[in-house]
Amino acid sequence: MNGKFTILEQAIRSGDISGGIAEASRLAESGELVFSIFHEGIEPCLKDIGDKFGRLEVFLPELIEAADVVKAVQESLKSYLKAGEVAQTQKGRIVLCTIQGDIHDIGKNIVKAMLEVNGFEVQDLGVNVSPMDAIQAAKNFNADIIAISSLMLTSLPYVKDAIEMVKQNEGYRSRFKILVGGGPVSRDWAEKAQADGYGDDAIEAVTQATHLIAN
Amino acid sequence: MKNTTRLLDIVNRSLSGPLVEEDAFNRQVTQGIRRVVKEYQIQIHSEHIINQDDKLADRTWQAAIDFLATCGVYNQSTGRVILHSQKEILGALSSAPDQVWLGSGTDAVLERCRTVEDALVPLNMGSPIGMAIPEELFIPIMQSYIQEPLVDVACPGSLMTVQGQEIRVGSPLEILAAWEEVDLMRIALVRAGRPGMAWTGLVLSMSDAGQLSAVNPLGLKSSDMHTFGIISEQKANFEILNKLTQSIRMGGIVDPYANPIYGGFGGGIEGQAVLITAAMIALSVVFMATCCGSSPTHPFHFNDTGKEVMQATSLAFQALARNSHLLTNLTITPVGGPGTKTLLYETAAFGIMSTVSGISRILGPRAATGAFPAHCSGLEARFSGKILHAASKLDRMRAEELVQRAYACYEGQLDKKPHGLPFQEVYDLNTIQPLSEWQRLYDETIEEMIGWGLPID
Repeated sequence: MNGKFTILEQAIRSGDISGGIAEASRLAESGELVFSIFHEGIEPCLKDIGDKFGRLEVFLPELIEAADVVKAVQESLKSYLKAGEVAQTQKGRIVLCTIQGDIHDIGKNIVKAMLEVNGFEVQDLGVNVSPMDAIQAAKNFNADIIAISSLMLTSLPYVKDAIEMVKQNEGYRSRFKILVGGGPVSRDWAEKAQADGYGDDAIEAVTQATHLIAN
Repeated sequence: MKNTTRLLDIVNRSLSGPLVEEDAFNRQVTQGIRRVVKEYQIQIHSEHIINQDDKLADRTWQAAIDFLATCGVYNQSTGRVILHSQKEILGALSSAPDQVWLGSGTDAVLERCRTVEDALVPLNMGSPIGMAIPEELFIPIMQSYIQEPLVDVACPGSLMTVQGQEIRVGSPLEILAAWEEVDLMRIALVRAGRPGMAWTGLVLSMSDAGQLSAVNPLGLKSSDMHTFGIISEQKANFEILNKLTQSIRMGGIVDPYANPIYGGFGGGIEGQAVLITAAMIALSVVFMATCCGSSPTHPFHFNDTGKEVMQATSLAFQALARNSHLLTNLTITPVGGPGTKTLLYETAAFGIMSTVSGISRILGPRAATGAFPAHCSGLEARFSGKILHAASKLDRMRAEELVQRAYACYEGQLDKKPHGLPFQEVYDLNTIQPLSEWQRLYDETIEEMIGWGLPID
């Protein structure tokens, strides 16, 4: 990790929003490019935090707090962006939900936090989301991936509905990939349902999302 | 207060409690857990799986009461927090039942509260606990459990179809499926010769409509348990309270569960222990539970037989057993499936840990984390019954040695998740008896554990 970003990194790891904003602004004022702050400082730090969560060396609150600092920093650095400059490498845009009939959300929240710290832009649609609402949200958000969680056997038909709605519409099929996961969702089930990707857990969800974007 | 009066009180608190956004409530849970873990110096002894420190268990209890009084339970339907003072919490706990009859006639069994290292044997709800099961296998699978003499009460798997159609929550198919589960369980109970055995089920019914349709004198009766889950962490909604209301009106045995996620909003082992304790107290205080249940879950393996989750669970349930007379239960959720020794080792470790830590009832094993349809069999319930009887003769130190030994046998398998074989490949579908290979693995493992010094009869 680059030494000049140590203080910023510490702020991210400790969930210190005001400290993160202050340090990021100081770096930008001192001439550091916004892109460099993200690419050399923030992104490696987030990746490390995500990896630590994968080993359960840190936990969901630390993941969320780190993501919160980064979102605040991103907002605060907008004014330092030069014309045409992008702040950070965005891997892709994902809408994420728990499917219709299911109100479990903690698994979804873990996946959301992992995707965010790994560079994806995520819109969380919440729970009990109908297939049509998920697709509409994906259109509005210009998403690359629709990620669906289901923890109930009896909600799986709605996951299949979502996959079918996307696959049968040429416009949707070329725009959106569907990534699925959750308790009753197995790799086998996902294949038979013709989902584009399957995540056994939050770690695999990130790998799969990366793979789907790259392809 | 009797349950109906308390229910009205809970509804009123749901309508008048502080307004909070759900994300903000989640943060309050995290901050609350962090505060009490620090204030009450909750620090586990990492070398032990089973807690050996009574003072730590007592501080965990105090931390949980403090946390619950501060944080409350969130009602998603109203966006308000249901709060109770510490005095109200302790008052409600003092009037919680310490025993309950489950079932009817000669099949009735008495569930009683237990203490740490209690010689009383916990009840055995040997069952697949909501695992997906094909319609055509429901009766033989459930019969394989119910016929086991060491199984006391049951909880069936969840039907995958109803009359050949895939079940869809919120549709008439869900209602039909709830009734079909009742009909098929009745047949399985009769065929196994235990028509009065208590059971809980309808796990497939996410919606209140599905559950309410079958909780009545023709379906799940007052002598049966009525179950529902609250949402992680510390959340409820009116659908859940609707299910509770029906059970209260039926005079039923309210048997809810809460499954805190390790590494989630509660953080690590210590936070998880406090959160589990608080969740069980909340089930009693807010949901008027007769029995309070849990299957604390690993976020990636989805089991509860890993070291960290067992450490948190042991500490939590000792806190409960030492400081209350609550009826408590735990579900064994191993990664291993039928036809694997991994399943048996995990069952042994978790069963021993739970028994010496003071639970009233064990559920499962929910083999292969319940993720593979019909990967279940009555033989593992027979095994868990033997473990409960043996573990009731142990103190914590001896139990610790045995749990460490069992854990060493499966630790390396947790990432591999050996899900084993489906029912029809480990049982004869005509005789409903184990096939020779699965019986051989069972017999071998029993002998191995007797050799370790586990006092199995």
